[in-house]
Parts: sequence; structure tokens; C-alpha cells
Amino acid sequence: MNPHNLLVRTACLPLALATALACAPAQSQDAGKALNILGSFLRQAAPAEAPAQQPASPAGVLGNLMGAGLAPAGGNAARAGDLIGLLSQSLEQIDQPKEIEIGRQLAAVLLGSKPLHPDMALQRYVNQLGRWISLQSTRPDLPWTFAVLDDPGFNAFAAPGGYVFVTKGLVDGVADEAELAGILAHEIIHVTGKHHLQAIAKTARAGLLTQVIGSQVKGQLASAVSAQFLSLGRDLYSRGLDQGDEFDADRSGVALAARAGFDPYGLVAVLQQLRTATPDNPLFALSLSTHPPAQQRLDLLEQAMGNRMDGFAGQAPVTVAQRMEGLAARRSASTAPSGPASRRTPAKK
Amino acid sequence: MILNKFNRIHGLGTCLLLLGSAMAHAQSESVLLKRAAELREAPGESSRSLAALAARTPVTRSGARQGAWIQVRTAEGANGWVHMFDVASSTAAVPSAGAGALRGLTSFFNKGSAQGGTTTATSTVGIRGLGAEDLARSQPDMAAVAQADTMRLDADQARQFAASAALSSRTVGDLPVPAPVQAPVQGTTPGSSNFN
Repeated sequence: MNPHNLLVRTACLPLALATALACAPAQSQDAGKALNILGSFLRQAAPAEAPAQQPASPAGVLGNLMGAGLAPAGGNAARAGDLIGLLSQSLEQIDQPKEIEIGRQLAAVLLGSKPLHPDMALQRYVNQLGRWISLQSTRPDLPWTFAVLDDPGFNAFAAPGGYVFVTKGLVDGVADEAELAGILAHEIIHVTGKHHLQAIAKTARAGLLTQVIGSQVKGQLASAVSAQFLSLGRDLYSRGLDQGDEFDADRSGVALAARAGFDPYGLVAVLQQLRTATPDNPLFALSLSTHPPAQQRLDLLEQAMGNRMDGFAGQAPVTVAQRMEGLAARRSASTAPSGPASRRTPAKK
Repeated sequence: MILNKFNRIHGLGTCLLLLGSAMAHAQSESVLLKRAAELREAPGESSRSLAALAARTPVTRSGARQGAWIQVRTAEGANGWVHMFDVASSTAAVPSAGAGALRGLTSFFNKGSAQGGTTTATSTVGIRGLGAEDLARSQPDMAAVAQADTMRLDADQARQFAASAALSSRTVGDLPVPAPVQAPVQGTTPGSSNFN
């Protein structure tokens, strides 16, 4: 199934040790853990063609980390390894193609935990809505990609380079399109603000990778996505972002949604609903544990918004179902009638 | 389902299970006035005042919202509209100091968490959302990423959608960053202080 599984073979312990020294100089680490992690990194970065000929010098390993091309045949995995090295140095070294590649790696982790929802009409609608909002953002030219995860919970995620995910439970739970727009705008701000890149760079610099590396990585899959990014992604999405970044995404997301023509109070309405959910509600557990308390977010939004946005509000609410029916009617009016109209289906797992 | 009777506490989750809308949930949500405010006949500050509501007055949301305004019903049976920022969840602490202050001029020293209030056992809910356990078990799915990439739309397609939805872009200034009022975060690692 996986074309790259030949790559996952060679464990080179001297290299791993050298890499450990190069990668995390500021932290005194548990040597065993470091070997484990960096070994798994190198297993992926090493070209399958010449497993025994790797240079065992720290300089060689450093060169590899810096992207000097010692592993030309490594494909995605080698690139991923290079990206970790760059991330731990400075965000300025992450140009847009690298940012997108990091985003793909992290998106793969999310999509590995929950699949895409099969309703393609819904997927298309969320892409239309999200792409329109992203056009009003500071980075309209990113390859913005939106997706609905097949999950009954209420949550949304983003990844660098323009990936934004919402759960089916969230789409079903919002009262109207303006609420969904507010959530998408919030996530878009996380992307334009590079909040995830900053979070994982912090983790990489602190040498915290050692704590979360998974020996659970299955060989066949590990070659396609760096084990490093797997651990980074698991950590990032179960822990959440910096609180200040969440407040920024709320505040800037309200303005962004308003720029795209939506009722700026959509996000406020969502937060009012979130406020009534308790952390032990299993549909809200992760979104509540990874975000500041909803009341605090509302208080800060009230302080930032005051009455400033009221002039941009007042649109008649449109529900997601109404919008999708309207879009389907337009499509069938302009083309030959296609399949059954997309109804909102129960999120049964 | 037995979930129904916990509707107010469970909030949205219950609605998801019942396949109702958030409106259905909001029908039974009771909230408190955070500060004194007028009950308006229609959405908007310029609308006629039906009654003066004191701080901490309990009202029940009808579920209707128009922009910043939500429709509520008082205990006396009066129906009208109040600004969203003038209400707080009935489980949240309502600031006594802020009562009576104008919206937007309140001081925000009240940092009580709504989640810190009453909680009700929800262990009867047999369905849960994506959680840390799912992430811990995740195996990266690059094929799904590739599939998601194929759903991507270009700027022209987005503009066509906006036109059909009667959405147009507007010039909106950035919102001011509120002055920091929060004590330094407790954790030593990014985001670790979020748990509550």
C-alpha cells in the first residue's frame, strides 16, 4: 500500500546520538528517549539505497538537519526532517512552500484520527464559505483547503499553509451560517498569524519532542509522514495553542468575518453556546480543554468590540441547510439535475 | 432519551444528539442580565423600550438572534430584545461591580469561568467527540490530505459563491487589543494552562 516503506529500515544509533546533541543543545535529555526519537527520525531520513554509508560524523548529521541534501532520495520524510531542524532555529527560515509542507504533515495527523465526512456537497459548501472568507484575509493566495471531519464532537482545527478543519458535529450545532463563518474566520487567523508554526517551533526548540515520541508509529506509514511531525501534531492538537493566540483569533476573526460580509456576532453567539457546555461533556471536552474559558473569551471580545461592530450586523440569519438548499437549487437550475438534494444527515459513527 | 432533561446544562451537545438546532437548545436557556438594560421592542438601541431591566434579572432566551440582539422573555411574560453582551449565562458569576456600567466601559476584573460553576454528571452520554485518545492513536493519513486538496476551490469559485449568497466584502478596521488584565499564565509550556 505504501510505496515508501523501504525507507523505514535503518536504525543508525551513532547518528541518532549525534543528532540528539545537535538538535537539543539546551536541554539535558534522557539519553534513551533521545535515541529513540532521533533514531526514528533518521530511519526515515536515510536513503534506502545506501543505509550503511551514512556519514557518522556530527557535521554530516548537522548538514542533513539543515537541509544540505544528504538524503536526496528520502522524499517527504527527509524533507520533514529538514523542516524540524529549520523550525527549531527560526521561523524566518520557513518559507511558504515549507509552511505548506508542514501543514500537510499536521493535517495528516488530524485526518488520521478522524476521516473526511462523506457528504461531498457539504465539503464543497464549507470550501466555498471558507475560501470566500480567506480572500479577505492578509494571505488570500495561500492554497486554502477546508474540510469537514466525520466526528460528532464540536471542534475546529487549523494547520499551517491554509488547512482548516471543522467537525460534522460543529456544522450541525451552529445556529446559522454566520456562526460557522465566525469559526472559520477564527481558524483562518490562526493560519495567517502562523500560530501553529510558533507553537511547534517552541516545542522543537525546547527539546520537548523527547516526551511525546511514539513507538506506536507503524513502519509502513511512518515513511510517508515524519514521526517527528506525528508527535508534534498529536501534542499540538491535544494541548492547544497559546491563550493569547486564541484571543487574537477571536478578535481578528470577528473583524475578518465582518469584512467578508457576515454578521460579526456569529462567533460571539457560538461562544455563548460554548459557555453553557461543561468540560465533562464528551462532545466538547477537547475544544474546552484546549481553549481559554468561553466566558473569558466573551469578556475580551466585548471589551474589543463594544458597539463598534453593530453597524455591520443585522443581516437576516441564513441556516446552513437553507444555504445548501439554495446552492443545490442553483446548480440544478443551471445544469442537468444530478443526485438527491443534500440533506443534513445524522452524524452517526 | 434521558438527555432531554439536562438540556440546559448540556447545551449544544444535547441538541446534536437530538438532531435539533442550536435554536431548540436556546429555547430553554435562561440567562441573567449582567447589568441594567432596556428591554427593547425590536433589535437595536433606537427601538422603543418596553421595560427597564435591573442587573441580575433572569430572562429566558427564545433562540432568535439578529446581529447583536437576542430575543428574551421576562418572568413577567414580557417579550423583547436585549444586547448579547448584556447577558451572562445563569451559571456564570455575574459581576456586581460591573452592574450598571455602560456596555463596553465595564472593567473586566471578573474572570470567573463559566465552566467553573455548576456541573452535572454527563457520563450517561454514550457518544463523544474527537479527543486526545484519538490523536494519540492517529496514524498519519496522507491519502486523505490529498483527497482534501482536491476539494480546494480557487478565488473565482469563491467569488461566485459570494455573489450567489449576496455576500460582498466590506472595509472593517481592526479591533483594538484590550489592555492585559490577566495574571501571568500558570504553566511553563505553551498552552498547558488551558485546562480548567
